[in-house]
Amino acid sequence: MSPEQVFWAGQEVYIKDIFLPVIIGVLVFVPVLAAVFAFGFLRHWRLWKLGQPDDRSGDFWKRLKTTLAIAIANIRIIRAKELYPGIMHALIFGGSAILILGKIVRLFSYATGITSPPQDIYLYASFASEVGGVLLIIGGIMAVVRRYILRPPRLDRQPEDSLVFVWIGLVVLTGFIIKGYRIAAGDVSPVDWASWSPVGYLISPVFLTFTEGAKNEILVWHRVIIHTVPASILLGYIWLNRSRLQHILLSPLNIFFRSLQPKGALTPIDLEKTELFGTSKIEHFTWKQLMDLDACTRCGRCQDACPAYFSGKALNPKQVVLGLKEHLYEVYPMPLSRKPIEKRPDMVAEVVTDGVLWDCTTCRACMEACPVYVEHVPKIVDMRRNLAMEQSRFPEDVQNALKSLGTRGHPFRGTAATRTTWCEGLEVPTAASGDFDILYWVGCSAALEDRNMSVARAMVKILRAAGVNFAVLGEEEGCCGDPARRLGDEYLFQTICQANIEIFKAHNVKKIVTACPHCFNSLKHEYPQFGGDYEVVHHTQYIDGLIRDGRLAPGVVQGARIAYHDSCYLGRYNDIYHEPRSVLKAVNGGRVVELERCGSNSFCCGGGGGHMWMEEDPDKRVNIRRIDEVVRAKVDVVATACPYCLTMFEDGVKAKGVEETLRVRDLSELVAEALDSQWLPRAL
Amino acid sequence: MDTLLRIIAIIIEVLLLAAVTYAVLKGVKLAALNLGVGPKYSRAVTLALFAVGLIVLVFFIAHLTTLYPGVTD
Repeated sequence: MSPEQVFWAGQEVYIKDIFLPVIIGVLVFVPVLAAVFAFGFLRHWRLWKLGQPDDRSGDFWKRLKTTLAIAIANIRIIRAKELYPGIMHALIFGGSAILILGKIVRLFSYATGITSPPQDIYLYASFASEVGGVLLIIGGIMAVVRRYILRPPRLDRQPEDSLVFVWIGLVVLTGFIIKGYRIAAGDVSPVDWASWSPVGYLISPVFLTFTEGAKNEILVWHRVIIHTVPASILLGYIWLNRSRLQHILLSPLNIFFRSLQPKGALTPIDLEKTELFGTSKIEHFTWKQLMDLDACTRCGRCQDACPAYFSGKALNPKQVVLGLKEHLYEVYPMPLSRKPIEKRPDMVAEVVTDGVLWDCTTCRACMEACPVYVEHVPKIVDMRRNLAMEQSRFPEDVQNALKSLGTRGHPFRGTAATRTTWCEGLEVPTAASGDFDILYWVGCSAALEDRNMSVARAMVKILRAAGVNFAVLGEEEGCCGDPARRLGDEYLFQTICQANIEIFKAHNVKKIVTACPHCFNSLKHEYPQFGGDYEVVHHTQYIDGLIRDGRLAPGVVQGARIAYHDSCYLGRYNDIYHEPRSVLKAVNGGRVVELERCGSNSFCCGGGGGHMWMEEDPDKRVNIRRIDEVVRAKVDVVATACPYCLTMFEDGVKAKGVEETLRVRDLSELVAEALDSQWLPRAL
Repeated sequence: MDTLLRIIAIIIEVLLLAAVTYAVLKGVKLAALNLGVGPKYSRAVTLALFAVGLIVLVFFIAHLTTLYPGVTD
């Protein structure tokens, strides 16, 4: 017999005496595995079902496409900023997938008769298993190095983490060793087929040094190890529902059921029917919000992205999610039981404190960073709703802002300006005075806050230069309601929203342009929830269109380094990244300086979520951190497209004492000034 | 050289079996907690499983050192 025939004759013995009993054992185990798995999953399911209803059906293919793109192609996991963990995950995932694929082919290979003599597909499967195993080990080593040596602060360490590494390492290493044993027990020198099992082949010479009796003993251990692996897998099934590994199952589910609503639209409360004003108990969250808690992979990307955490505040989005998860399992400790414990901690005081809730700027950086679409901001707003509407428990500044909104129609306390102060002497047409194509929605900041009034004036100059037939609401204009909604006062928001819709209806408003991304977001995405459907355009989009259509021809500034700061509500909430840069390029000779954190990764100015009206600890101000980044970029001007950013940056520039070297401008101001052909940077 | 190989082989086997034992027993503990054993019993469960693990490991070492074949018969 040739060496190959000798080997494969040995393999027949191996397959019949060792492998087949193992397979039969595993098959006997299958119902047990399935039962254990179902039990673990049912526990999650029953807890999710405790939550409030939330329709996440529809758009099946879109959901499936995104789920596969993330789960298989690792999109959102591999990012430029997250290269090491991204590659690490891809190696672990890709390695496992290839390994399992190879194993599945080989598992059925005997029954299909492709093993003896080995056919191509068997050899490919053998090779694929080994390549997968090597990739998995490389990824695993990267993970161990990161977790136990590099130790980034965002990673927490729990006892079962090491167990997961041991378990996976064991499964892969014993796989290689078993192959080495097998080749050694084949009792022939390695021949060409062995190159299809490169790692096992490398290991086999060690075992070849053993005598016949030793090999028999080795085969006993071979049997022990190969029998142990299924036992580990049994527990692995439990871990899939219990440990960090549960993300293999729950993350794709969470991605599949992600919200397909506009990113900036908070869920309305039906005030006529509801008995729940926000969330004060864990069961008040929706089933999807409870699923979020289980789906969190504890990767900590949200923590790294959070401006509040970065600035030293109490909020840590990762801890919010993990704290709520721990609370869920504390309140419902018994598997499959839906009976809560009698004395439970107060969720909106002890689990997530008031301070944490009010620290959030709703910038959405956490949600953008999360690879599995955990929805942090809606949970925080839901808990704020409870504080605001049911408990009337909020910081004094918030209370004053809401009070001002309710009584004076805007959140700015102490201003002497009226809705038309900014346009005195400009003779701006109002909606009441005649027909118009565009309603210019000025917004509270531009109407009532000194620094932002020049933005409104710049807009008027631009609209007139382009010959646009526009009007403003003037004294009829109120707040859009965004601050009330983000601060949790849904009742006030809905009152404001409905009043505005009536005004729009009275003036037959079809198209609205606004310079405020918060107003833009609310008018565009939240007003339709109450029947207010309009074409809403941000001023950067509109100005960009005017320039592209040739209706506006601004001059070009020479020599100034201008950076653009992405506003959260324009960028992350509405994906408007291109138009503002296009406008800036038009007035700056095609140049835009990008800040360290830009685009979807941009850093909040600190003014969102009602923080425009909150006093903050001077040492923990988000705007100061952002100005530090702008200063590091060595630019002359930082351009924004949001009144909150403008105000926060002006404050930040003053606090840092860099007024002489760094100017803050709204893009519309730059365009308006550039309309004069002699516009020069010094004129800034 | 043969003795050295034998020792190395035994050490590798013991390490592998220790890892297998650790993984299985830790999994049992997780499963127990998952099935509703209260966190207050966590320490007791750990100690019990640790004892089982030690016994298993001692058996493995004893078995390997007495029965594991030498590299030459």
